[in-house]
Amino acid sequence: MKQVINLELNGERYEVAVAPHATLLEVMRRELGLVGAKKGCDTGGCGCCTVLVDDRAVYSCMTYAMTLEGKKITTIEGLARDGKLDPLQQAFIEAGAVQCGYCTCGMIMAAKAFLLNSRSPTEAQIRQAIAGNLCRCTGYRKIVEAIGLAAR
Amino acid sequence: MAAAPFKQYRSPESSQEVVELLTRYGEAAVLLAGGTFLHGLAARGLMSKMEALISLQKAGLDYVKPQGGSLTIGAMATFRELLDASPVKGRPELGAIADALEYPPPQILNAATVGGSTASAYPLFDLPVALIALGGAVVAQGPGGRREIKLEQFFLDYFRHALGKGEFLAEVIVPKLPDRSASAFLKLETNANDLALLNVGVRVTIDEEGLCRGAVVAFGGGIGGVPVRAATCETYLEGSRLSAKLLDESAQAVTHDVHPISDHRASARYRATAAKVLARRALIRALARLGLEFG
Amino acid sequence: MSELSVVGQRVRSPDAYDKVTGGKGFPVNVRLPGMLHGKLLRSPYAHARIVRIDTAKAEKLPGVKAVLTPSAVPQIKYHSVFFAPNLDPGMVRDMLILSDTVRFAGEPVAAVAATELEIAEEALELIDVEYDVLPAVFDPGEAMRPGAPQIWEHAPNNVAVNLSFGFGDVEQGFKQADYVFENTYQTQRVHTCYMEPRVCVVDSDRQGDLTVWSSTQHIFGLQEKLAFALGLPISKVRVVKPRYIGGGFGGKLDLGYIEPVCALLSLKSGRPVRIEQTRYEDFITTARHPVKVQLRTGVKKDGTFTARYAKSILETGAHATHGAVVLPVHGLMGFLLTYRCPDVKWEGCAVYTNNMIGGGFRGYGGPQGAFAVESQIDEICEELKLDPIAFRLKNAHREADPHPFNPNFTLSTYRLDECLKRGAQEFEWSKRQSAGSGSGTKKRGIGFACQPLWVSGCVGFPGIYEHSGAIVKLNVDGTADLSIATVDMGCGQNAVLSQIVAEELGVSADAVRIAYADTQTVPFDAPTHASRVTYSAGNAVKVAAGSARKRLLEVASQLFGASPDDLEVVNGRVRLKGSRAKEIPIAEVVELAGAPALTLGLEGNQRTPIADKGTILGTSSLAPASNPSPATAEFVEVEVDTETGEVRPLRALFAHDIGRVISPLGAEGQVEGGFQQGMGFALMENLVFDSETGSCLAGDFLNYKIPTAIEMPGEIKSLFIESNEPSGPFGAKALAEPCLIVPAPAIANAIYNAIGVRVRELPITPEKILAALGKL
Ligand SMILES: Cc1cc2nc3c(=O)[nH]c(=O)nc-3n(C[C@H](O)[C@H](O)[C@H](O)COP(=O)(O)OP(=O)(O)OC[C@H]3O[C@@H](n4cnc5c(N)ncnc54)[C@H](O)[C@@H]3O)c2cc1C
Ligand code: FES
Ligand code: FES
Repeated sequence: MKQVINLELNGERYEVAVAPHATLLEVMRRELGLVGAKKGCDTGGCGCCTVLVDDRAVYSCMTYAMTLEGKKITTIEGLARDGKLDPLQQAFIEAGAVQCGYCTCGMIMAAKAFLLNSRSPTEAQIRQAIAGNLCRCTGYRKIVEAIGLAAR
Repeated sequence: MAAAPFKQYRSPESSQEVVELLTRYGEAAVLLAGGTFLHGLAARGLMSKMEALISLQKAGLDYVKPQGGSLTIGAMATFRELLDASPVKGRPELGAIADALEYPPPQILNAATVGGSTASAYPLFDLPVALIALGGAVVAQGPGGRREIKLEQFFLDYFRHALGKGEFLAEVIVPKLPDRSASAFLKLETNANDLALLNVGVRVTIDEEGLCRGAVVAFGGGIGGVPVRAATCETYLEGSRLSAKLLDESAQAVTHDVHPISDHRASARYRATAAKVLARRALIRALARLGLEFG
Repeated sequence: MSELSVVGQRVRSPDAYDKVTGGKGFPVNVRLPGMLHGKLLRSPYAHARIVRIDTAKAEKLPGVKAVLTPSAVPQIKYHSVFFAPNLDPGMVRDMLILSDTVRFAGEPVAAVAATELEIAEEALELIDVEYDVLPAVFDPGEAMRPGAPQIWEHAPNNVAVNLSFGFGDVEQGFKQADYVFENTYQTQRVHTCYMEPRVCVVDSDRQGDLTVWSSTQHIFGLQEKLAFALGLPISKVRVVKPRYIGGGFGGKLDLGYIEPVCALLSLKSGRPVRIEQTRYEDFITTARHPVKVQLRTGVKKDGTFTARYAKSILETGAHATHGAVVLPVHGLMGFLLTYRCPDVKWEGCAVYTNNMIGGGFRGYGGPQGAFAVESQIDEICEELKLDPIAFRLKNAHREADPHPFNPNFTLSTYRLDECLKRGAQEFEWSKRQSAGSGSGTKKRGIGFACQPLWVSGCVGFPGIYEHSGAIVKLNVDGTADLSIATVDMGCGQNAVLSQIVAEELGVSADAVRIAYADTQTVPFDAPTHASRVTYSAGNAVKVAAGSARKRLLEVASQLFGASPDDLEVVNGRVRLKGSRAKEIPIAEVVELAGAPALTLGLEGNQRTPIADKGTILGTSSLAPASNPSPATAEFVEVEVDTETGEVRPLRALFAHDIGRVISPLGAEGQVEGGFQQGMGFALMENLVFDSETGSCLAGDFLNYKIPTAIEMPGEIKSLFIESNEPSGPFGAKALAEPCLIVPAPAIANAIYNAIGVRVRELPITPEKILAALGKL
């Protein structure tokens, strides 16, 4: 049985009817037309679906939408402000950290959550912050470099 | 893929209400904590249809608090909350908890809960093994009230635990450990996003003379349906004067009690060999927290 | 090398902005009004005949709009490989959209389309299938034995393809050898792990014309294979080119089950139908073929090869598909042609089993060959106390030699020697200690391997599409639209191709836009595969841009009153060669060329100064001219924990001769990503199946392990030894594959150097290390 709930995504309120088992990822992609978070596995581990809930990175593929009322959700669509890219987005472009791009939005969101609490991270910390995100194209080096760039 | 359809979503606001709902729905309800294990089951098509999904989110269980010398952890405390809790930070005797929580990726730290990780009764998870090393227990709450179950009695087999009808896991208790205790945890994994091929949690207590006054060595991972304790190894340590040689010998003894499995990730022989190494390294790591260097 | 302004620059990928802000252009995002969701019912058995399928209950479920069973689909046998023509005699046509015999666990037996995904899933549960379970065989060795279950009538002993190549007389060659080495190497089944799942949407109109969106590496291959399997003329199938796809690496280089099934479901329901594979389904859709390579190698005391013999047994799984091509590529490029040797022979066969179908994967037979060849060379060097670098140089081909594969060509640029020497120097190879000499429980070692020869243009392989074509159209704002069928799967194809256009036209890279394309609107292009895009498509794009430029200058010549030959384009402006006196922006020329002949102005009718009107554009369609080979060497340092067997790569250095580097940023990305895949292959990846039931045990990322940022070494250096390949666009050759071919043997050799034991079977797990050390 679907139930209507209110979600706050990127500062906007959405009223959606969701099934008890619906995940945030499905609700965003199917109902809200927010396709930045990607499904890469649906069982946790690839990280393509990463978004922030109350400023913390989670896998949206395993976050039940029903549990999110009253929480602040941020997705890649909410990063750029007034057409200005977030420093992370800019750094990913500059450093050549984007290849096929399928992991990119999840990577940036994982990095975003990390940088909210970390001013001058070490390379090891950066790598730890994206340990839950797989990339098959880049070998991660330029991604790590981009996150370092954005931190500065 | 979507999870198995539940007809209803319920979000009880107290422990009593949780028990009421569990009693009402019986087998036809499933509890939801962080969802990271539950959704994995559903997405793999391993869950049958259910009447209700009962979320513990609003039941007021997300605390980590010291009580006397012991630690009480609400079932809904996330890994991150436990890791960041001030009573856990920098305490040698709780080192195993911090170690165990170093392994999961941030997304899991932020979502997975202490209750969910324990109640999954999955021997490949890390935190429960660390908690066993610390002598941890769960508090089960049900129609008959609350009862404490030692973790070693809590796990019965793969995915089977000692909770009865209408009961749920309300909190986890880590008892006060004697002075000069330290613990550590180590895990063998293939990449940073893996469940344990093998893991070990250890706790040692020493006296002023440097004699070992208590030891727990517990294994999880591919060792069968429930975490196991390496009793022979523990006995070997207890009352002994610690030395590199002793640690090595005691670690060799784990093979008496740990009988790993073979699966597609590793053979029993490999796990048995690695178990000795992990045990020794974990003991060294724990003792280093007391300022004793053996490695 | 003439001066270049765009080629060779660290330009940003043209899609990067879109990808960091949400990546809307992936096929996984395609949704159409009224779209249905399809699901495949897959067999739980590895080998079975379907006795009966009852779909009555599923069809009655509200929301279900179409159901398919084998009896309701065309039974046309096809092969699924995009780059080979449908009727190519080298291919084995053993695929059916749905068959009444299943040959691997997970082979589809029926399909459903419904208004909601959940309804389709529920409908699958309502389909009742009665199977007659047949004996199955999962090991290629067993499959070839007499009495093994027969998987196909056309393949006695389950041998799908049998091939042999060689020259000289190996037996004679072995007689001349001072030493003969014999070793066997085994590689495992690994998955490409493209991150975007295979997904497609197919729509049909009232006339039965199909439009297809798919996460595919080749729109024309998909069109051709799909039309064939459905028994339709090719004109009934239109495939839309995705703006980009979320990885492929060879894993999206064949017709899947989902496209024909979606097409039929759409034709049946009259609605668009979408199928997205789950990660589990992706894992059982495509994989690198396991190959067992037996090597017999004869050498002189000084390390000169006298004879080389190899026998490869490739497991192709339930269907031959790519196996029929991977096998000869492996034999030729992975073994036969790698080094100079007078007497060489290779024999190989592709064997059917009841495992999943093997597929394409970056390197295409190369990694299996290189692991054997490059490991064995180190073994020989160790035994004979020879220097592994000198050994390889002694036996390698040389620049200006005839191309070993196609003697009509020469290796006009070929700098393997420099790759080895400079790589060794930068990596401080000379500091390498003797094997196993370190102390302590954690031991370090360094190793290297090379891929001396690789194809880029593929010229000369029989039965493989190779040509490319493009349209370059100039716009009135001075930009250019590049229409081409090449799919960007993340290797920077869009960037490289727009750079080539920009360079040729004399505009900046961001003035080139990749246009919409589908199979109707652009010339044929062979797939994005085989390290061919920069070279082959790059040449086509250069020719198209060149002809647009020629036209531009013809038109502009009317404005300058000069011959087109006296004009040039610099920074988007046309001028007399070398003169800055008068410069006319391209935009102005294009606008005038496209303007009405007479324009009504305040002063009356004005005639534009340009007489011959029209859009300024250039087109091309051509096959590659040559067959240049890149050369690659990789050096790696590892640390081995001798108590747990864990291996940690600490740093890596690649030295590549890839001709001219068009996009350095992109090229480095290829190398770094290639190392990740090669390292996974070497150490951890293994798509394992239950040896009794044939069901996949590693169908998710908790069980199929690929390196994360934590396992990857912090240092991966790319050393590009640039040469100027005369046949390549601006001197370029190719890159994508060798950087994934060499890591496995390089790591195996480094492990040997660290601990003095050799593992000849991939992946080199901690367990195998401890076993080799005698600790288990
Ligand atoms: C990518 C990935 C990486 C991981 N890495 C690690 C790792 O490194 N180490 C590790 O240990 N684990 C790891 N895990 C597993 C993770 O720890 C578990 O999924 C998690 O602990 C489960 O907790 P949860 O709160 O999400 O539980 P849920 O999924 O919500 O629930 C789990 C089960 O417990 C039941 N349940 C939940 N709470 C209660 C309760 N209070 N009382 C009774 N029953 C209850 C539920 O009904 C369900 O059956 C990983 C998982 C993923 C997906
Ligand atoms: S889709 Fe969520 S982790 Fe892969
Ligand atoms: S850029 Fe392709 S998966 Fe990361």
